[in-house]
Amino acid sequence: MTREALLVRTLVELADNLVEDFDVIDVLTVLSDRCVEVLDVDSAGVMLAAPGGELQVVASSSVAMRGLELFELQANEGPCVDCFISGSPIVNLELSAVDDRWPQFARRAVADGFHSVHALPMHLRSTTVGALNMFRMAPGSLRAEDVVVAQALADVATITIIQHQVSVDAAVLNSQLSEALNSRIIIEQAKGKVSEASGLDMDRSFQRMRNHARNHNLRLTELARGIAEGTTSIVGLDPLPRARHVRSISSNPWAGEPEPTT
Amino acid sequence: MTVPDDRMATILQRLVSHEVDGSGTVVLCELAAEVSGVSGASIMLLSDDLAQGSLCTTDGIAVYLDDLQFTLGEGPSLEAHAEGRPVLESDLAAHSMERWPALVPLALAAGVRAVFAFPLRIGAVRLGAVTLFRDMPGPLGDSQYADALAMALVASRTILAIQADAPPGSVAAELEQGANFHFVVHQAAGMVSIQLGISVTEALVRLRAHAFMTGSSIDDISRDVVERRLRFDGAAPTGPADRPTAMDDQ
Repeated sequence: MTREALLVRTLVELADNLVEDFDVIDVLTVLSDRCVEVLDVDSAGVMLAAPGGELQVVASSSVAMRGLELFELQANEGPCVDCFISGSPIVNLELSAVDDRWPQFARRAVADGFHSVHALPMHLRSTTVGALNMFRMAPGSLRAEDVVVAQALADVATITIIQHQVSVDAAVLNSQLSEALNSRIIIEQAKGKVSEASGLDMDRSFQRMRNHARNHNLRLTELARGIAEGTTSIVGLDPLPRARHVRSISSNPWAGEPEPTT
Repeated sequence: MTVPDDRMATILQRLVSHEVDGSGTVVLCELAAEVSGVSGASIMLLSDDLAQGSLCTTDGIAVYLDDLQFTLGEGPSLEAHAEGRPVLESDLAAHSMERWPALVPLALAAGVRAVFAFPLRIGAVRLGAVTLFRDMPGPLGDSQYADALAMALVASRTILAIQADAPPGSVAAELEQGANFHFVVHQAAGMVSIQLGISVTEALVRLRAHAFMTGSSIDDISRDVVERRLRFDGAAPTGPADRPTAMDDQ
């Protein structure tokens, strides 16, 4: 199989999990295995942050790699740890040059026969969820295009994982989104009614509702719903304090409010 | 809905490379138009068969098409969402007059010749629709159709993934960026409901009818109401709110 065909197959395997039965460990095992097949590296592994924020070894291309990654976590020093914390890639770092940075890790990795290390962040937007570790035994550098490919594979795996978490919660999230939008819509409708009934502009109509909701320990959305549906009287809303008490419109001397006439 | 794996992989890969810009959800619309080879695209959020507004649009025509659907309460996006299946109209001029009698003449006049709407859904969960349009008649090719289906799934998941980061009770800021949820229309509906002594729902119908009859955008009509240049009860408009009055100056 050509390198390109192998890459496409890998992307398909990773994306496949969007629609098929899903297992995070499977996805990341595919990721680390394929990195070793497609790229010029000898071992690869993935660490993900647990809900509490601490890193865990999730997948490794070999048992030896798993041992080294566990050691890295235990010693709390090494490429994956640094990459996860900084969110920045570490590329072509030779182990002979990192004695000071990671004394315990470097000694162990060299003993395992490795020459250089690479770690790429797994992030979606601004959140780093983990890191992909790759180790080379032979001297020499990982090519720039290999780094790009590895990052693309890591990105697709990340999206797959995050989208899986989403699909589990799709119904909940969709109703949250739709309720949040509907609440906004109802508040805008209520603002319109208050504005027309009391002659205030939209901003101050909103302030008046918020002020009343606070005074009476009501949720703003409930108050707005009552106003929009006509079950809550607009005349009965507490009037806004005078201008000097309303910080956001302090430049307007006319912030006081005539009594509602309706 | 079955989506071929390689298409999903390609789209994800492109989405990933786009995401570096971090420019709200417009990338979803642009990618939808790009992968299916059409002139433009929009993503509309719908709830209970009601259009809530556009999440993103590729261009002015996409904005216009979405606004028409919002105003008229008919069109391909609403139908795709309501029926949970793709709605394909490859020649708007030829067959669609009966399907969407109010929308089609206006869409044609704007240069839209074909529309293809795909529901945004994950299992039983429905979010809205991604709608593609073209300035030439003709069906989507097989691979374009498959790409559009894959794109609808990716868009659905991406929208929810973004919403997952939002504080409880609010819409994620990234989803509001570039979106038009027609808040001004709802403000105007509240005002008109007081002017006419009718429910907000009826007032929305009046606003929609007025926009349609006068050939104006419903957002523009609503802005006129909110800025008190237009009233629905026949009384003279008063101009902007909160003019100082003698009473305030005591």
